[in-house]
Amino acid sequence: MSTTLRDVSKSYGRTVALHPTTLTLGTGVIGLLGPNGAGKTTMLRLLSSALAPTTGSIRVAGHAVTGSHAERTEARRRIGYLPQEVVFPRGMTAAGFVDYVAVLKEWRDTPARHREVRRVLDLVGLGDRATVRIRALSGGQRRRLAIAQALLGAPDLLILDEPTTGLDPEQRASLRGILSALTCTVLISTHQTEDVSALCDRVIVLDAGRTRFDGTVAELLAVAAGRVHQGPAPSEGAVGTWKTGTGLVRSVGGTPEPGTSIAVDPTVEDAYLLLRATPARGGADQGAHA
Amino acid sequence: MSGWHVDPATWQAYAAGHLDMAAQAAVETHVTTCPACRDSARRVAEDDPMTGGYEPVWEAVHAAIGAPRQPAHLRWLRRVGVPDDAVVVLAAAGDLRLPWALAVGGAVLSAVVAAHVARAELAYLLLAPLVPLLAVAAAFEATDPLRELAAPTPFSKLRLALLRTAATLAVAVPATALVGVVVPVLHALACVWLLPALCLSGAALVLLTRLPARWACGVAGAGWAAVVLGLESSGHLGAVTGGVGQTAFALVATALGVVLVRATTTLQAMGATR
Repeated sequence: MSTTLRDVSKSYGRTVALHPTTLTLGTGVIGLLGPNGAGKTTMLRLLSSALAPTTGSIRVAGHAVTGSHAERTEARRRIGYLPQEVVFPRGMTAAGFVDYVAVLKEWRDTPARHREVRRVLDLVGLGDRATVRIRALSGGQRRRLAIAQALLGAPDLLILDEPTTGLDPEQRASLRGILSALTCTVLISTHQTEDVSALCDRVIVLDAGRTRFDGTVAELLAVAAGRVHQGPAPSEGAVGTWKTGTGLVRSVGGTPEPGTSIAVDPTVEDAYLLLRATPARGGADQGAHA
Repeated sequence: MSGWHVDPATWQAYAAGHLDMAAQAAVETHVTTCPACRDSARRVAEDDPMTGGYEPVWEAVHAAIGAPRQPAHLRWLRRVGVPDDAVVVLAAAGDLRLPWALAVGGAVLSAVVAAHVARAELAYLLLAPLVPLLAVAAAFEATDPLRELAAPTPFSKLRLALLRTAATLAVAVPATALVGVVVPVLHALACVWLLPALCLSGAALVLLTRLPARWACGVAGAGWAAVVLGLESSGHLGAVTGGVGQTAFALVATALGVVLVRATTTLQAMGATR
């Protein structure tokens, strides 16, 4: 079941947060990269139906988010959404919070709802914290609790805005395991490029409200192939340079000093930095999905 | 330890969620201290073709033990037939402390003002119906921390708004009524503000389907002030407390209730994000 955006845009007065965008999102994990203010959260909120688009139409699993009330409700039944920030009622217990969201997601059969609450809490490793009040949970545990509510009911479209913020390496690895086992569409907005390279089949880069890149991780890495070097001195005109633990300087882009620097394998972060440093070509996207 | 143990029929009823709350609590308490019952549960579940093994039973046990325990007044609501999902929404209304504080503070303030001005009747009739309205506005403007999570769910936003309103008014109305009863000069007015308050809250909820909460409640409140001051200036303030006036308020409140029930827009309810 795919999700489609057709000429979707969002403006706040004269400020355009998202220019007209057309995308089809199939199953698998899709990473959404971009600087702050690029329009990532706007796109996720539009897809979740928390925000209405200024123009265009959105369909989730065949149901129009931008259609009639009945159609929007049908679409909402198929969406799991993790906002960037969740303000918890701190007096609630972990299970009480997820139970409340389960009710909002129309789990009317009480025993089945409680089993589902238990399932998602176990999935994120909070099964033994179910009866603990949220104010007693750590930041990482609260983030996992927020993720748990998004996983309720096996959604067709799972939208996660910065899911790994506040998680330690083990918890991030655990979340990757959970997400990679899903068979639905998972859209992750993140600044953690290592999450993208470890998890995503496809990457979309947004910049200033426009799709700058849309393709596979390999295609994104190809942007930086042969353009990342390591040597005793920084490359001239490099987008980014830093001294590594070996004492050598890693340079992203620029012209390396002949004879002393060697080309190294680029990372998704290198490719992203180079992509951002390259002027946009009239809004033309790169990659296989463009 | 008592000689009582959980029999197979009780286990199956527990797993299916058919036990009443007292029996459910008794099973949960007992099983935590009785290894024999834990073993019997396992044996019973393994033998039961309905459950297909003990794992589903244990899942149900774990789910029930971890399930949120509701306060006594909410358990009572469930016993008298309020749907479980409504009770869960009401249980989540713990974030309504600000509206409740505003309700109590507003009730006291309206009584203090009325007791210290020459026209106590005018002051109380003007202010008392605004107290529930103030609480409703506060309940929807900024105090629902889960609005961002609630907005993209299929649950009717209008129903959510009405349930939160009910939780707010459950404090605002008794607080204001109590003040009217306690303050001697307001005895005669202790109840006559209730129907106007109902009208104002209903009007605000109808407007909430189109406007953000502060505007909806502001319009309703300004309208009420205009009505009261207009009647006062024309010498007809008594119409508010008279039988005809109260009947008119009852009819308007009923009409607003019908409009609310028939309202189909959910995205805009609660002044939701545009």
